[in-house]
Amino acid sequence: MPREHLLKIGVSGIRGVVGDFLTPGLACAFAQAFGTYVGAGRVVVGRDTRSSGAMLYHAAACGLLSTGCEVVDVGILPTPTIQIYVGATRARGGIALTASHNPPEYNALKLFNSEGLFFNSYERGELLDLYHQSDFRRAANDEIRRATADYASAPRMHIERVLRHVDVERIRRRRLRVALDAVNGAGSVMTPGFLRDTLGCELHAISIDPTKPFPRIAEPRPDTLGDLTELVRSSGAEVGFAQDPDGDRLAVADETGRVLDNDDVLALAVDAALRRLPGDVVVNLMTSSVIDEVAHAHGRRVYRTPVGEANVVEMMQAVKAVIGGEGSNGGIIFPAVHLCRDSYTGMAFLLERMAETGQSMSALAARLPRFYRKAGQVAYEHGRLGTLMQALEESFPDVETDRSDGLKLILPGAWIHVRASNTEPLLRMAAEARSEGEVEELYARVLGLFEQSG
Amino acid sequence: MIPPHAAKSLRISHVGLRGVVGSALTASHVLDFAAAFGTFLDPGGAVVVGRDPRSSGVMLREGLLSGLLACGHDVIDLGIAPTPVIQHSIRRRNAAGGVSIGASHNSAEWNALKFLGRDGTYLSTAEASELLDIYHLKKFSFVEWNHLGSVRSETLAIDRYLDDLAASYDFEALRKFRVLVDCCNGTSSLILRRANERFGAGFILINEKIEGVSFAHEPSTTRDAVALQLAPLMQPLGADAGFLFDVDSDRVALAAEDGTPVSEEMVLPLIADYLLPRGPGKLIITNISTTALLEEIAARHGGKVVRVPVGRQAAIDALSTYRPEQIALAGEGTGAVMMPQFRFVYDGIASMLAVLSMLHESGRTLSQTLAGYPKYSILKGQVPLVTQRIPALLMDLRERYASGCVNVIDGLRVDWPGRWFHVRVSQTEPIVRIICEQRGEPPRELFDALLEEVRSFA
Repeated sequence: MPREHLLKIGVSGIRGVVGDFLTPGLACAFAQAFGTYVGAGRVVVGRDTRSSGAMLYHAAACGLLSTGCEVVDVGILPTPTIQIYVGATRARGGIALTASHNPPEYNALKLFNSEGLFFNSYERGELLDLYHQSDFRRAANDEIRRATADYASAPRMHIERVLRHVDVERIRRRRLRVALDAVNGAGSVMTPGFLRDTLGCELHAISIDPTKPFPRIAEPRPDTLGDLTELVRSSGAEVGFAQDPDGDRLAVADETGRVLDNDDVLALAVDAALRRLPGDVVVNLMTSSVIDEVAHAHGRRVYRTPVGEANVVEMMQAVKAVIGGEGSNGGIIFPAVHLCRDSYTGMAFLLERMAETGQSMSALAARLPRFYRKAGQVAYEHGRLGTLMQALEESFPDVETDRSDGLKLILPGAWIHVRASNTEPLLRMAAEARSEGEVEELYARVLGLFEQSG
Repeated sequence: MIPPHAAKSLRISHVGLRGVVGSALTASHVLDFAAAFGTFLDPGGAVVVGRDPRSSGVMLREGLLSGLLACGHDVIDLGIAPTPVIQHSIRRRNAAGGVSIGASHNSAEWNALKFLGRDGTYLSTAEASELLDIYHLKKFSFVEWNHLGSVRSETLAIDRYLDDLAASYDFEALRKFRVLVDCCNGTSSLILRRANERFGAGFILINEKIEGVSFAHEPSTTRDAVALQLAPLMQPLGADAGFLFDVDSDRVALAAEDGTPVSEEMVLPLIADYLLPRGPGKLIITNISTTALLEEIAARHGGKVVRVPVGRQAAIDALSTYRPEQIALAGEGTGAVMMPQFRFVYDGIASMLAVLSMLHESGRTLSQTLAGYPKYSILKGQVPLVTQRIPALLMDLRERYASGCVNVIDGLRVDWPGRWFHVRVSQTEPIVRIICEQRGEPPRELFDALLEEVRSFA
């Protein structure tokens, strides 16, 4: 039996099931480590709509105050909005209390530096060591600062930034009919206003009550968005958007209600970005080759990184990329707005493309180079990944390989990738090819090797 | 020499958690105590939380809320609120309990958590022991993610508290008094300003600004603190009575209309003299360090004094062994007084109103009233001492003063007719306290001899 990962403390921070695992004491101690690391100054704290958000906010605020930090509570907001606010207000750092797309019983602390960005991998290691050393700064009464609240500024800052990169008037004139599923998440407080009032869309929205639980599986994927499909059909929407609970990920449905592959959504965003700005693209290993084709059409290069937003962001900074993301995760990162996954930039880009071209969402997607993908996951025991990787290499001799995160086999016009999940005892497998038959065959071969290697 | 580890800047006891924030009292103490209290209370009940204005109170509040919510309790947050108001709100809202964040009469760098049970009462020793066991065991009853509590703010707590005070005291009649109050930058100003607005009361406030870092002076309810700012202003402002409150308003000290700072020992006898003839209760519960004037006042009204060890916990436990109607009042010579009509919580504001009502009904001034009591003189001193030597010291004193009546429930008290002394160890600091009282003139000779004997053990 695989061990259940109910609590995980590592270089990515702290994440777990609230109750006996992610306790107020652990959250407070992590905030103490963070406050000690960034130094006495303003630290922004925001959260998504999870029921444990308030409890963890108070724990984090306690830890931060105890190290002499001033706490700025921005309330319930999308993670990108919190990140932008941290950077714009030049705070010492920020904490978003969100387990992103994980189920509602989970929560986590996402930590940001003074620019509102993920710490690099070396900084994250230092912070973890500080947490384990437990040698936190302890402010005396006259060094303890206030906790203040600013709920209004951050959404305004975020939306203003997004609007700098699209032709708002063009979008408004089209009065696009848009469907939205905000999963009762942090997007509930911001997205309806953004689409209806700012971009002038005719909005048909469901799951926009931040006080209610998530009505569907939190991760926005084609197989979890039946409600959105139905809404698009019943409202006659030209496009449908779905967010995850912390509003960083985006999924898109076309006017028929079909949910696009997240890789294709990213490809459309990459195309939109490269039409505006010169520069290269960064995506993770598992992202579709459709990105390469779109980038090459603009004469641009694609860099690949291990899976994880922090890895993509770190590479994007290093190569000064114009756009990046993680296809399967529905993450679009456009540094001109902010170096983070941002569903708002994604929505604005796609709506502008529709307004600009006059084409339907299905037509825009149909113009992308056609790849077929299959991804899945199996429960597995630790130690089996290595055997599988060896078996794969033996089974596909003489192909280009990338071992930076699991194993990727790069075949002509196709690839295979296997890796262990960082958060769950799962082995993730993916394959891509130019035909459905080929991808099925490749995927079946991986699965067969996995079963044999057991 | 005091070994460094004996510098008691953190104290975890039956009274709760108290310490110097940062160097001793840390966020993790607060989190663990909050979770322990959340585990200790009946599941599901709401918890009332308030704090005094110390800056560190914000940090303690956040930790407390987090622990309580995690254990499934809703929190009613009063913000900055006096302890008696928190206790009143617990009763009014029928909450499972409450926590007062604040270090009362300690200086600003200290803070504390005081845990309160159903009805706003202090925890009994048995309950406090259970809380401490949970704290030390660190096995907390955290609830599932979808059963966590939520926080509500409450803004009417002070008004509802004043409603209750107005039912017991005649604010209309007390309006005639010009009352000068030293708020020590604490929470009493919140109540008294509101009393002025609502009842046209004549409270003139000094040091009324709520302060988080530096109080105008040490917020202790002693004659020395009264002498600093309150007493000198009495005559220039033509005040009829002067009162000084500690930061969380559970204690009070007095200044007379002629500008005399009154001994902190006198608050309890004054209120005893007022309450004994009025209520059914005939017992005064106090500790063995408090003035013997109480016995004389009790005798005048057919009452009796019950003497217990020093500290709130001993008084609480003693209270529980009597029926409420048997008791006139309980308290200490520190200006902390509990009365039956306020369900036996230390309440400086109610104590002040009792003293003012007494002046109103007798038509005499405070100094005239005080002059009506036989004169007692009390001397207090302290000597730092290695705790190891204390038993030998006490035995030595006991043999030396064998002529008196000996009481060893807390250190050593020896009584002679019209004279007594008490030598005990402080619960909060590594020092020995010497208290010596005599009917009439100060017992200087006895006090000096005791001081020398204690020092010889240092």
